[in-house]
Amino acid sequence: MISPYYLQLIILVGINTIMALSLNLIIGYTGQLSIGHAAFMSLGAYCSALLTLHFNLPFIVSLLGGALFAAFFGILIGIPTLKLKGDYLAIATLGFGEIVRIVCLNLEITGGAVGLRGIPKKTTLLWVVLAVLITAFILNRIIKSRIGRALIAIREDETAADAMGINSTYYKILCFGVGAFFAGLGGGLFAHYMRFLHPKSFDFMKSIEQLCMVVLGGLGNMWGSFVGATILTVVPEMLRSVADLRLLIYGAVLILMMRVRPQGILGESPANGGFKNNSYSQWIQTRLKKSLRKRSGSDKT
Amino acid sequence: MIARKKKTTIFTAVFLCLVLLLGVAGCGPKESADTEDGKTVIKIGTVGPLSGTAAAYGTNVLRGIEVAVDEANASGELGDYVLKIVSEDTEGDWSKAANAFQKLVDIDKVNVIIGAVLSSETAAGGDIIKDAKVPTISPSSTAVDLTKGNPYLFRNCLSDEVQAIQLAEYAVKELGLSKFAILYTNNDYGKSLKDAFEAKANELAEVVAVEVFMDGDENFKSQLTSIKEKNPDSLYIAGYYTEAGKIAQQAKELGMNVQLLGADGLCNVVLLQIGGEAVEGAYATSGFYPDDPTPAVQNFVNAYKEKYNEDPDMFAAQAYDATRIVIEAIKSKGPSSEEIREGIAATKDFPGITGKTSIDEEGDTIKDVIILKVENGKFIRAR
Repeated sequence: MISPYYLQLIILVGINTIMALSLNLIIGYTGQLSIGHAAFMSLGAYCSALLTLHFNLPFIVSLLGGALFAAFFGILIGIPTLKLKGDYLAIATLGFGEIVRIVCLNLEITGGAVGLRGIPKKTTLLWVVLAVLITAFILNRIIKSRIGRALIAIREDETAADAMGINSTYYKILCFGVGAFFAGLGGGLFAHYMRFLHPKSFDFMKSIEQLCMVVLGGLGNMWGSFVGATILTVVPEMLRSVADLRLLIYGAVLILMMRVRPQGILGESPANGGFKNNSYSQWIQTRLKKSLRKRSGSDKT
Repeated sequence: MIARKKKTTIFTAVFLCLVLLLGVAGCGPKESADTEDGKTVIKIGTVGPLSGTAAAYGTNVLRGIEVAVDEANASGELGDYVLKIVSEDTEGDWSKAANAFQKLVDIDKVNVIIGAVLSSETAAGGDIIKDAKVPTISPSSTAVDLTKGNPYLFRNCLSDEVQAIQLAEYAVKELGLSKFAILYTNNDYGKSLKDAFEAKANELAEVVAVEVFMDGDENFKSQLTSIKEKNPDSLYIAGYYTEAGKIAQQAKELGMNVQLLGADGLCNVVLLQIGGEAVEGAYATSGFYPDDPTPAVQNFVNAYKEKYNEDPDMFAAQAYDATRIVIEAIKSKGPSSEEIREGIAATKDFPGITGKTSIDEEGDTIKDVIILKVENGKFIRAR
């Protein structure tokens, strides 16, 4: 028998892998900087938990219900905000995350500041492994399909993608919806494992943690999401033995990683389609250089 | 196509391998030596935020526990047993608290846990310790019904409801007040105090006016004027010391002659500095009174100051008491988890430094709340 503590870690690694995979679709493959991913997780978690608590639905139904609920909000929030780019989109998603958190903190049905207690424990290792494999499979199919090519085209150059006849708004909203769906699925699994929900664990820092998993593992690489989620879940727990130095070492590891390998541990998978073989961060750098060059050029004239 | 298939297979394989690897790692022998200097070790786990925004609470709680454990180990009151603390950080995040609880019961195999600090952390750990049958006593989680239906979860703390109810009883029975006005700050703390005080005061006497203010307000004259019209004989301030001091000043300026009452949010020297003459004679409930001359309190305050060079606060004092309750349980019943649970559940009229404490059948605290009075520009203990 696996000891319950390690079992808990494995399950959390699985759930975080789902979160990182779904965020990777949005950030790594489509190039939309979203820092409100924890909000989708909390929507899925609360919705599925409430479906189980109030309607006593089978686990699979409440899981899917929570995921669809999150996807609905992903699309809803995607329609107005995906017209924004870069920093502006990041701020809009940040705001959305805060709204969701504050609403959960004040609604009576979510237990408010006391939290939602008494959720039955239904998530088992089998459920999580299945969910990870299904998520990885579906996202892999999406990325390798025509849709995936369109998403990567949008990331590389949205204007050019538009000119090639790709409806960029449609694809961006689609990717937000799919990302939110799997985030909601992860949230549902989380709720039925923890048996307790409180908005505090779905705040800005959680979104940043998920972003770290994606960036650390490698943007635009599904394996990277798995590696990033595993490291960022297991390392803080392993470091429990050094109590006081724990967060210091954790922070140092992150800084070191970004200094030594800015493209993430695995970097972008070369199988992404051959639009460009270099990584997303390099892409950002070239974009920055280009725009700087343009600006200095216009200053001279 | 083949390459893709291969990738998916590798993904599956590696994931499953890691699952197995971690699983095998979990089966390894983890038991550490259970004896120290020929004495049997009783492990006390602690869970609380030692980093993050709530770190101040968690740190003070841990210090309170450390003072109690050092004292018990030094005095040798436990005979052949020695206490050892295993502390875990939660960063103030309840999902990390769940990991901490799971690790304590599973890897460290602690006999008893003191924690967690925040209500959400304790709630997240409740089911874990219930499954593992490890008794847990929280020194500071005040959320309503937290310990209900969980025979292994206890707490030793002052809830907002209890202090408001006891002050209302004290005001009516001991101070002979009968017409109450309430002025509360518009947040969780103010609201729960107001609700409990209003209900109890209406039951025993009469509440004639209820007004609200915001944290950080400077001018309370409009609320005080409408309270004055109702002619109450006392004013219950459910808020914090800064505003309370100003309210007292302005009530005096308006010529109101009311008995001031308040909760633990008032117990700070700043109240005396701002309120001055106006807060003389005010009564307030408190979780802990460090200037109490009784030896038990002074021993704790001195030991704490010596060790940390700082004055203990309510969190440290309640944690100290919670640890004392556990020690008493070990002395009366025994060191196993089940024996400690029985001992804690049987706690009755325990003379703690935060007041006389009993544990009820739901695992909740019944406490004689300390009531302080302002006299000659100082807080003194009225009860």
